[in-house]
Amino acid sequence: MEVTFKLNGEMVTCPVTQKLTLMRLLRDDLKLTGTKNGCEHGDCGACSVIVDGKLEKSCIYPARNLDGKEVLTIEGVSNPDGTPGDLQQAFLDAGATQCGYCTPGMIMAGEALLLQNNNPTRQDIREAISENLCRCTGYQQIVDAIQATAKSRLNGGAK
Amino acid sequence: MSEKLQYVGNPNSKAADGIEKVLGAAKYVGDMTLPDMLYAKLLTSPVPHARIVELDIKPALAVEGVKAVITADDFVDHGFFGWPVKDMYVLAYQKVRYVGDPIAVVAAESEAAAAAGVAAIKLKLEELPVVSDMHKALDPHAALVPLEPQIGDGNLLVTHVVRNGDPEPILAECDVVVDESYNFQAQEHGYIETEGVFAIPEPGGTVVVFANDQSPHINRDNAAGMLGLPAEAVRVIQPPVGGSFGGKDDHVYQFTGQAAKLALITGRPVRLVLSREESLATSYKRAAAHAHLKIGMSKDGVIRAAKTEYLADSGAYASQTPLSAWRASMHLAGAYRYEAATVDTKAVYTNNGYAGAFRGFGNTQAAAASEVAIDELAARIGMDPIEFRLKNCLRTGDKAFTGNTIDHEAGLAQCLEWVRDQSGWADKRKTLGFKSGDDVLKGIGVACYFHGSGLGGEGTDYARITLTVERDHSVTLQSGLTDYGQGSRTVFTLIAAETLGVTPERIIMLRPDTDTALETGPTVASRASIVGGNATKVTAGKLIQKLNMAAADLLGCSLEQITRHGEDFIGPNEEPLAIEAVIDHAFAMGLQMSSQGYWQIPVIHWDFEKGTGTPYYTYSFGAQVAQVEVVKATGKIQVTGVWASHDGGKIIFPKGAHGQLMGGITQGLGYALTEGFSYKDGYPQKKNLKDYHLPTSLDVPEMETHFVETNLAEGPFGAKNLAEPVMIAIAPAIANAVFHATTVRCRDFPISADWLKAQLA
Ligand code: FES
Ligand code: FES
Repeated sequence: MEVTFKLNGEMVTCPVTQKLTLMRLLRDDLKLTGTKNGCEHGDCGACSVIVDGKLEKSCIYPARNLDGKEVLTIEGVSNPDGTPGDLQQAFLDAGATQCGYCTPGMIMAGEALLLQNNNPTRQDIREAISENLCRCTGYQQIVDAIQATAKSRLNGGAK
Repeated sequence: MSEKLQYVGNPNSKAADGIEKVLGAAKYVGDMTLPDMLYAKLLTSPVPHARIVELDIKPALAVEGVKAVITADDFVDHGFFGWPVKDMYVLAYQKVRYVGDPIAVVAAESEAAAAAGVAAIKLKLEELPVVSDMHKALDPHAALVPLEPQIGDGNLLVTHVVRNGDPEPILAECDVVVDESYNFQAQEHGYIETEGVFAIPEPGGTVVVFANDQSPHINRDNAAGMLGLPAEAVRVIQPPVGGSFGGKDDHVYQFTGQAAKLALITGRPVRLVLSREESLATSYKRAAAHAHLKIGMSKDGVIRAAKTEYLADSGAYASQTPLSAWRASMHLAGAYRYEAATVDTKAVYTNNGYAGAFRGFGNTQAAAASEVAIDELAARIGMDPIEFRLKNCLRTGDKAFTGNTIDHEAGLAQCLEWVRDQSGWADKRKTLGFKSGDDVLKGIGVACYFHGSGLGGEGTDYARITLTVERDHSVTLQSGLTDYGQGSRTVFTLIAAETLGVTPERIIMLRPDTDTALETGPTVASRASIVGGNATKVTAGKLIQKLNMAAADLLGCSLEQITRHGEDFIGPNEEPLAIEAVIDHAFAMGLQMSSQGYWQIPVIHWDFEKGTGTPYYTYSFGAQVAQVEVVKATGKIQVTGVWASHDGGKIIFPKGAHGQLMGGITQGLGYALTEGFSYKDGYPQKKNLKDYHLPTSLDVPEMETHFVETNLAEGPFGAKNLAEPVMIAIAPAIANAVFHATTVRCRDFPISADWLKAQLA
């Protein structure tokens, strides 16, 4: 079986099996290891990516369903020159990353929220990241980072 | 501090290694691959206690794709290791002692082949009686958990005492005595990255291991010992670590030995990364514990004496429990003045998983017990809980209950005052509080803590740092002290930048690597900032002398005439000299542009036999207030506000420090409400992160955090420790808030919603 989909803006065609998940496809086959594995059961959100504008846990997303879809991973969020995108930079500025293991998934959760709601409240943000576990930060600086990015995008900042 | 600081304490300083993390470019162990690599998988014990009758690996070797299978027999002395107590094997030897105990490891061409290999191993176990209740572990008929009794008495692992006067006659005189027991379930570290190692064989029979451990030098020494190799033949490198909190040492040492052995046998790279289920079953936890506190006071609210006991469930192995039980003993009566106090502590073996290091290290349980007890005392005489604490708490020059004097500036009272004023305490104590007609009950509660800095009586507390100026004008910093998310890389970078007078961007901290970094002792006990920070300062001080020498030579002036402006060196004629020119000249002069520095915490002495002395050379302090809502119909507790103040001396990396404080509070909130890793007859009751509930963004309120910056002459720029103590006050603060809301006193942690519901019915 093969699927053809858009990955971080580029068309790719990959062989897949019935059981292959999107996380395994990204990490093992395509060597895009920015998407993390924290549980492989849909319980932690470390593997979060965006599929067709929606936040998905790639560890429970069947790769065979990808045909014609558009996938965005942490590797597709940075600026074309490789510098951090605005939300990534906001994570740095707010101190929202400690061990960093939840960070890619959190950034994807933030991006997914901002696609749907360009002016979220702090409670909106907390709900949007509520399936992404972070054991280090206590979430507050992550909420700060997403909120700051929403504000700067509304004011005509990057992206 | 008279020094004017540029980078240290600057609120805009950023994490030194944050960029790779936000880009998703940081390579954790599980992200590493090599073309020819093999995948390793563990066979673990399905039962809590059994004799290994048969362990036949031949059928596994016959499975297609399987390249090697190892057991304890493949190691020197069966891979016997452990510190401070040697009682563990790299793989189970003769017996399995808990569900999840590793027995054998298979290396194969694919994960599927490795799993098939594990399934093919022929294992015959003869089950033994299970010890699962720590209170019964010392019964004369209890089955023996270790292979040999450890200190001559069945399942007894260790005892500790504190003897400061005789509390009995004083307690007999006291107007009010609280005499209660407090119980704590085990807690899982819950790092989002599971344990992993990647071992790469090298020509000549040596091996490189990338391991997400905390203490690479100890890991290397253990692995070399069990492999029968000289220490230099094993090189341990620490990649970025996805959280640890004390939780990635002992069992990661096992995995390191296992993967290294498999790599050496097969001549191919071997990666072993645990699944979440394996991690939960196999990893060590915060010890389940029982505390019994008898504390007495006069009727006007002056605390007088305490007689206390502590029992810790170490589970199948000792790991760090002898030391964490000691730390619990040194804090069990809390941060208050006493006329007399005693502690009697025991730690025992059972077949419940095993316990080891975890942020707070024994003081988590000790502070929760004493802070609920203190609240009970205040309630008994109707005194405001903060007023009561302010009346009795330790201040500079007071004696701790262990009998030693608090020599350094103590900021506990300031912390209490800050959380009181900031939380609207006085108002809320009146407007909130139990109202029998309400469906949602609201309350506010407080707890505070002291926490001994560094290892204390647990060991020699030192660090070594190397700083090297490179020809490209960068400065590399090397240390065996590791960063598993707590920000010590940034702390060292900022201190080095400050001392050298260079920008933090110029400093590159290399990954901890046993081949190049000097032995530095373990990265535990929140000690990295103090000892590593001081060692960095000492080292930078030596290096700057060489740079000054080069500058003086170039400017033709004396050393004393050199001043600095930013990175520039200024001579007597005020002509600025760029640091690049100074560095180039230093190399031209043939100066050796590398320095090493060592720093050790002043030596203190605790007499373990007598239970007297000075356990720590200094303490950090703090206070936290929690506001809660309890739904009467369900018993569910929602924390709606947190105010936290910590006296950590000078804060070096403020953004990181606030993050540490809030992250610690969140772990403590989980400890209070949902995180019980319980066992039934030795079988763990939680298998994955669906069962074991870590706090989410919706469980944690917005928090207000604050630092009281007292001065500590010996700290680097006056810093004390931070990462650990900040997690320990929130659980008792929540319990005390629940009491205010409901009049129900919670003494068992985590607080069960079902239990609370029944109390409220
Ligand atoms: S790895 Fe996908 S949710 Fe945890
Ligand atoms: S930063 Fe470590 S899990 Fe979020």
